[in-house]
Amino acid sequence: MHRLYIVPTMIINVVIVLVPALLTAALAFCNWDGISAPTFAGLDNFRALAADRVFWSALGNNMVWTLVFLTVPILMGLAAASMLLIVRRGSNFFQIVYFLPVVIATAITARVWQGMIYSPVTGIFGILKKYGMPIPNPLTQPPLALFGVATVDLWHWWGFLCVIFFAALRQVPQEQIEAARLEGATYFQMMRYVLLPGIRPTITLMMIMTVIWSFLAFDFVYIMTQGGPAFSSELLSTLAYRKAFYDLNVGQAAAAALVISLFGLVGTFFYVRIQTREGEQ
Amino acid sequence: MQRRTILKAGLGLASLPLLPRFAFAADQKPVTFWYESASPENQDNLKNLLVDAFNAAHPEELLSIDFRGSDLDKQLRVAMLSSTGPDVVFTAGPSYVAAMAQAGQLLPLDDYAKKYGWNERLLPLFLDLGRYEGKLYALAKTYETLGLFYNKTLFAKNNWKAPTTIAELEALADEMKGKGMVPFGAGNADWRPANEWHVSIAINSVAGPENVHKALTGAIQWTDPAFVAAIDKLAEWWDKSYFGENYFSLTLEQSFAQIATGQAGMAPTGTWSFTNVKPYFPDNNAEPGFVGFPSVSGDPIFPLGIGSTLSVNAKSENPDGAAAVLDYMFQDDFYSKMNSVWQGEWNLPLADLSKVKLSDNVLPLYTEAMKELSASVGAGKYGYTTWTFLPPATDTYLVSGMEEVWLKKTSSADFLKKLDETFKQEKDAGKVPAIPPRA
Repeated sequence: MHRLYIVPTMIINVVIVLVPALLTAALAFCNWDGISAPTFAGLDNFRALAADRVFWSALGNNMVWTLVFLTVPILMGLAAASMLLIVRRGSNFFQIVYFLPVVIATAITARVWQGMIYSPVTGIFGILKKYGMPIPNPLTQPPLALFGVATVDLWHWWGFLCVIFFAALRQVPQEQIEAARLEGATYFQMMRYVLLPGIRPTITLMMIMTVIWSFLAFDFVYIMTQGGPAFSSELLSTLAYRKAFYDLNVGQAAAAALVISLFGLVGTFFYVRIQTREGEQ
Repeated sequence: MQRRTILKAGLGLASLPLLPRFAFAADQKPVTFWYESASPENQDNLKNLLVDAFNAAHPEELLSIDFRGSDLDKQLRVAMLSSTGPDVVFTAGPSYVAAMAQAGQLLPLDDYAKKYGWNERLLPLFLDLGRYEGKLYALAKTYETLGLFYNKTLFAKNNWKAPTTIAELEALADEMKGKGMVPFGAGNADWRPANEWHVSIAINSVAGPENVHKALTGAIQWTDPAFVAAIDKLAEWWDKSYFGENYFSLTLEQSFAQIATGQAGMAPTGTWSFTNVKPYFPDNNAEPGFVGFPSVSGDPIFPLGIGSTLSVNAKSENPDGAAAVLDYMFQDDFYSKMNSVWQGEWNLPLADLSKVKLSDNVLPLYTEAMKELSASVGAGKYGYTTWTFLPPATDTYLVSGMEEVWLKKTSSADFLKKLDETFKQEKDAGKVPAIPPRA
């Protein structure tokens, strides 16, 4: 009887998630322009993607993106959260300050950075140039474009991790922290032996989610560079979008989406396994 | 009691969008039209000059317009696929018309063309471009061209004259560079497809429209030496910094403003940029100039572009009303009024512009440019813009591929090889729009 409780969520899941997901999987094996009727194409879309060097560079960019987001914002979030824990005074204020970029709409954040910071005409970079400190707009340099966009996403994202980590750190038993202090533990010793082990499940979960989210990253790249210049900041998601809505090649877009899902699936597998283990414990 | 009141109020609010349909259902037939994004001022222009004026002239119809933003194209495709969508269908260009007509989503307009006399009223070329397998499915809403804007005041001060040949253009650009100016005011920060304006200019002005026509019809390949020379020339201009240091950082408006301020000498852009003349040139005490883009031969070339097309939905419940809206637009009176307040977006392809009277506020330069374009199209002397005549995937590859050439990630020959491969695939799939024969 209790299994009936999951029926409403299952219905929503089937209609909103399962049906479109199955359709996407089916379309990956079809030729479809999004307008006329699809025709079966076998593995042609996957072959075409494998032969497309932009697909491989987009996949590589996704890997780089994932590595950046697995390290920089997590380290920043942990450092800031531990500081908030140690220096309690003003912690609420700083939490709000750190969290603020998370609630600003993506489009606004992206345009502000593009126009008011990076732009050599209207931005801070332009002012620095006038004072003899020329810094190139990273969005216009192929080797830097991806990192230029990632910086903006990091600025917008790390505060979220900080708040999550801070909430987790507050659950670490106070006695352990006090004991470590009495023993004369330094900041790094406190982090290494008390705080990090105490919030390890939260960090693991955030890292798994980061892998999944990194392969879904789309908005900042699409708004700021649209994958350019010269495909240098193209991600799998922007590639899929371009294939579907500009090339009118929905089949190849669906194939690219399946590749994205594959990475998400790996992340989900580990997430479920860890959750199950914790449940058993 | 209070809960009931809230429920009633909620129901009432929820039914508000349906009210116009109920209120006029008895005697008026609704006609829906989805439009892309438009500034508040231009939304008012459409409401006053199209919606209100059409409804007053056709009391039996009730036209309504819905502004769907820059995602109109995607929304429309989903709606049409599910057999809904507006009665008047706005597409992004002829390459979309072919696919939609092939899928049976658009109504053939041949009977309406006969009834309303569109065959005589519109330039024949644009009727050809709206045909698919011999039937008329779309009318071009606006046509445009690429050319060279320049600052007349700046030119007069420096005793420069508008270039007519590529050699003159290059000599002038070098002189501008020597004076610390950017030769081409150009940028793509907010519209990456701006790259294809420059590709369209190069292939038409260097390789020539005849060669472009041959490539579009499959008579020669895109890897032909004529196109390699054209792309090499565009890469050379990039290497010589004609486009300046900030091409990828400047928005279209910022780059256009540079020619008004004198930071840049010329702007290779299209007739849509006339919208930006008023906000920048008078404030800088400068007068704008516009000429057809210089060419190897010295004859100005006007690459022809169709910004968007209009059709009738095959599933429309009121196709006669939708066709009446189209007919209302393609009139001298509507052309005159709309172009008087909004230049560049409503350049309807009327065959005879002699009865068109634009407001005194309209730049004479705009009127002249449009008359010159209309005459060159009428005489069959026009070039081809890539966004109008290339199929979708070829066109999107071109936008990023040209950046790869500029940034030395690929060569002109390899870029054209990939372009040619993509074009052939799409040509085989029947995705190349109708290419009218050359006069």
